[in-house]
Amino acid sequence: MKLKMRKTTATVLASTLLVMGILSGCGAKSADTGNSNDKVTTISVWGMGEEAKSIPKIAELFEAENPNIKVEVQALPWDTAHDKLLTAVASKKGPDVVQMGTTWIPEFANAKALKDLTPYLDKYPGLKQENFYPGSVETGTYEDAYVGVPWYIDTRVLYYRTDLLKEVGYDQAPKTWEEMQDVSKKLADRGQGKYGFSLDVKEQSLAFMLARQNGSKLFDAEGKPLFNQPEFVGAVKYMNSYFENGSAPMDLGIDAIQGFRGEGVAPMFISGPWMVQLIQDQAPELEGKWATAVLPAGKENNFSSLGGANMSVFEYTKNEEASLKFVEFMAKPETQLKWMELTNSLPSSKEAWENPILQEDANYKVFGEQLETAIPMPSTKEFEEIAQSFLSSFEKVYRTKGADIQKEMDDFNKKAESIINK
Amino acid sequence: MKSFTSRKAPYLFIAPAIILLTLFSLLPILVALFISFTDMDLAGLADYSNLSFIGFKNYIEVLADPVFLKAIFNTLFYVIVGVPLVIVTSLGVALLINLGVSKVFKVFRVVYYLPSVTNVVAVAVVWTYLYNPAFGLFNYILESMNLSAIPWLTEPTVAKVSLILMALWRAVGLNMIIFIAALQGIPRSYYEAAQLDGANTWQQVTKITVPMLRFAIFFVSITTMIGWLQFFEEPFIMTKGGPLDGTMSAALFIYKNGFQLSNFGYAAAGSFILFIAVIAVTLVQYRMQSKESDY
Amino acid sequence: MKGNKKDKLFQWTAGIVLTIGGILFVLPFFWMILSSFKMESEVIQIPPTLWPKEFTMENYKNLFENMNFGVYLKNTLIIVLFSFFGMFLNAMAGFGFAKYNFKGKESTFLLVLATMMIPSQVTMIPVYLILNKMNLTDTMLGIVLPGLVGAFGIFLFRQFMTTIPDEILEATRLDGASEFRIFLQIILPVSKPILAVQGILAFIGGWNSFLWPLIMANNERLYTLSVGLSLLKSQYGGNFALQMAGATFMVMPVIIIFIIFQKNIIENYTTSGSK
Repeated sequence: MKLKMRKTTATVLASTLLVMGILSGCGAKSADTGNSNDKVTTISVWGMGEEAKSIPKIAELFEAENPNIKVEVQALPWDTAHDKLLTAVASKKGPDVVQMGTTWIPEFANAKALKDLTPYLDKYPGLKQENFYPGSVETGTYEDAYVGVPWYIDTRVLYYRTDLLKEVGYDQAPKTWEEMQDVSKKLADRGQGKYGFSLDVKEQSLAFMLARQNGSKLFDAEGKPLFNQPEFVGAVKYMNSYFENGSAPMDLGIDAIQGFRGEGVAPMFISGPWMVQLIQDQAPELEGKWATAVLPAGKENNFSSLGGANMSVFEYTKNEEASLKFVEFMAKPETQLKWMELTNSLPSSKEAWENPILQEDANYKVFGEQLETAIPMPSTKEFEEIAQSFLSSFEKVYRTKGADIQKEMDDFNKKAESIINK
Repeated sequence: MKSFTSRKAPYLFIAPAIILLTLFSLLPILVALFISFTDMDLAGLADYSNLSFIGFKNYIEVLADPVFLKAIFNTLFYVIVGVPLVIVTSLGVALLINLGVSKVFKVFRVVYYLPSVTNVVAVAVVWTYLYNPAFGLFNYILESMNLSAIPWLTEPTVAKVSLILMALWRAVGLNMIIFIAALQGIPRSYYEAAQLDGANTWQQVTKITVPMLRFAIFFVSITTMIGWLQFFEEPFIMTKGGPLDGTMSAALFIYKNGFQLSNFGYAAAGSFILFIAVIAVTLVQYRMQSKESDY
Repeated sequence: MKGNKKDKLFQWTAGIVLTIGGILFVLPFFWMILSSFKMESEVIQIPPTLWPKEFTMENYKNLFENMNFGVYLKNTLIIVLFSFFGMFLNAMAGFGFAKYNFKGKESTFLLVLATMMIPSQVTMIPVYLILNKMNLTDTMLGIVLPGLVGAFGIFLFRQFMTTIPDEILEATRLDGASEFRIFLQIILPVSKPILAVQGILAFIGGWNSFLWPLIMANNERLYTLSVGLSLLKSQYGGNFALQMAGATFMVMPVIIIFIIFQKNIIENYTTSGSK
């Protein structure tokens, strides 16, 4: 019996160990990323969403220039990219180079997850701030640390159907908020199921951008939020007016292009440069029937928001040199122009903008003009949460008939204060 | 010697499972408990020296957070509507299939549990499209019958029901299988005896089948209840908790605060409140069940 | 006994009710499959069409050009295999709790049950940190370990195995078989019905694995089908036809596997009632 017991124990243990052995064998095999060859360095680059598909094509050019560096690109879905970055920070294991949406920079820089590139500028002159638009350098800077090299930038402009606007008496795009409201109303009056302006209620920077056009500073000198002040509240009222009189669709469940084409359910929307390509691809029949224009001006100005993505080097990378090389390559004017060809995102490099394509194409001209005054969103690590909180406050506003906007904004301002003082 | 065998063997049988559960369930929950009393955010996660203890502050704040309270309300809504719906539907389908004599009924078994083997992401993609107000099949059917369109995912209460319908579609299959398995366990002699006494099908079901299934029903209701209390995937993929936080569940609230806003301490506090609620509800059910079987 | 009018009527009613429900249950699948063969322009027509005007394979072609479908499928299958191994561990534990008396049994079992109530969102970060300490991030093992065993499975096995008569075990013990052999040769064969249910669960769990592969894998090498599909969703947000093709591609293999194997899986449950 005793013997038998031992046998049982042994059998169970052995089988468990055997399986574990097999498992860890698999694990070890897959964890081997080919660093065995000391000549070749492999760097991993994380890209996000749509763009991630095109990074490998650019990476090939880089590999051709640097035969001893291999680039592995990983695409992350936007929805879950944030979680993945969190775990990478927690484990100090992650990519070498990572695409950073400009709004995420403060949070990750504050957690010291991104390398400050200031010490490397002499060795890698391509990273120097003066190569880029000042606004986009600002997005990559956090409390004096230069953590994100400008890669591509985007700014919002107005997209509109020239033919349909003509029909309601507008030979040009609306120039002011008032004209914008007027043309939207006229377009919406075309009939049942027709609207004027597709106002994206999930776009978190829109309200802050419009508030600036209306003269709001967003935060005072001490960093206190000014969201219940008349300038900001006025912008919210302006946004809400589109829903109140039915010029903007609510819960239609169609995306901007679907509303743009054909009869033009919603012949105007505000969006970034990527839409140019998408309209050409998905709605080729609209050729010559649409255009872009700089944003209609509010009380103060028509400044747009500046967004885009930067390239950051992960603090815990083991391949510093190769990573910096790659980032420098991505920042080169010619690479950025190539990138523009692939994805229609605008270059952040000033030199790239001297290229004739950007100087002559009508749409790029509009973006160039808009960029001259575009301002990034405030770079505080709480801003993301504040913007999210605004979206839910605004949802209450536009879903409630006759909502008390001032009261909602008072509440939102309180919430913003508590987020900042956490 | 015999007793020695029985003393050692069970530990070996349960050891692998217990070790894994300890590592990946019990230990993490203790870590999370610790986190819930701190102000951990991303900076704290990257470097523990940034942590500070703040006592019950997270708990006090989360209980006053209107979104959390709404999430609790929605979760209760999911439980109260969802649990009976899932049980009645699965039990009904299982009984009908079990009573069927023709070969056709075998097909039904496959049909009804297909949804539960499909991938949640794929399902969400399909249902998002079905529910789409403009291109969706559902509104198209309604309109072709001259009925007015339904705001499936755009009105808070309707959206909750829409998510429940989709989750029901996915949940019936598995519970139906559990019920069918339990139905097989009922000795045929019981039915034969009842038939000799002249009991009809309905009487057989109510007098024999349902009482014999008591444990299976209890089991399914506990697991379904826990499932609804932790309802996450559907609202996460379909609605992100909207409109107006109308589909926000407690689990999604935790996820949003933890993984999107990096307020780990706050999210951990919320999760413990949920955890305690789950345990309380389960204990109550367990008590009721043992009372019932004591008569 | 059978064949009286009342019974016939009942059979028909049951059949009709189940048919109506069944149509509702497979409707989403039909819609998914049909839409995957439509042109993108047709998918966003108002009103929508039910039957594709012209069948196109464009979406499927597109899918293969933009997704490493083979790799995702392979990883998903590996994970499914692991979940079957996890099922075996669950069965062992269930047997231990069902057929032995030992010190601390009740409290251990309660602890096991308590783990079922832990929302996964709570433990995600701590689990990740633990795996990281074990150096298992970015490995297949790291992806499968956290979900390998589960209280739900252990509980089901225990419930079932308590009903196995002790006499069978005692008789085998007297023949001098080891405890582990008893488990393998006596208990598992008797537990077929519960193994079938658990097998389904293990398969579903493995097939649907989404969050861990996404979080653990620092490389596309380890992505699963769900992760691939969510990537597709984020890259082609407005392209419903392509998404439907992706979804169809994920769902169809499972459906086919189940239709083939459903006999073996459910045969355990069939009554001998249809004589």
